[in-house]
Amino acid sequence: MSNNILTQNDIRHVDYKDVDLLKQFINPHGRIVSRNRSGLTAKQQRAVEAAVKRARFMGLLPYIQK
Amino acid sequence: MAEVKQAVVDTAEETALPRVYEVGYHIKPTVKEDDIEKILGGVRSIIEKAGGSFIAEGAPALMRLAYPMEVREGEKNVEYDRGHFGWLKFESSTEGARVLEAALKRSADFVRFIVFRTVREDTRAKFKAPTLREVKRTDTLKAVTRREEPAAVPVSEEDLEKALKDLTIE
Repeated sequence: MSNNILTQNDIRHVDYKDVDLLKQFINPHGRIVSRNRSGLTAKQQRAVEAAVKRARFMGLLPYIQK
Repeated sequence: MAEVKQAVVDTAEETALPRVYEVGYHIKPTVKEDDIEKILGGVRSIIEKAGGSFIAEGAPALMRLAYPMEVREGEKNVEYDRGHFGWLKFESSTEGARVLEAALKRSADFVRFIVFRTVREDTRAKFKAPTLREVKRTDTLKAVTRREEPAAVPVSEEDLEKALKDLTIE
């Protein structure tokens, strides 16, 4: 069974304000997890990447976490 | 000459094509609650003046930032660790978005803002973060009924002494 959260929950758009969703795609240090771990398609991974970077810029997610 | 003119008109039409944008912003925490509505009114009027229309809006709410942000205020840098975060989705030409971005950049009321292209549909996901553990217990504890102990019978002094004697003799 794939662990693609977006497909499982039928999520078509990734919004930078959905911090709870984006937190599923960052590791405890705040780094974006790879496709190997996220299980996303290439298109979804790009959307998540853009959303996480927007959220970081707007201070909704940290750039780094200890 | 006429052909050149036509080309110019075409590009102008292209830039005038309505596109959906979203603006997210952090208003400075030092701004009073009453003034926030005034600032928002200013943002809305900029979009309306540029021929834009609104699609959706998220009211500003004070929140903690994930990291402190530095803003240049006059001669010094001021650090903010919170801000009134709100967002606004609107439809306008590329020119409208550019005008809004320039206006926000000039304004001194914002800690930070972002303007980007998005889609008309609601992009907020109805996602519930999984909780750490959801285990159903099958071995539920049953309430144990307590046996009532017989009420203590008053013992006379003589009986007590007799019992003690029996114990010490043994």
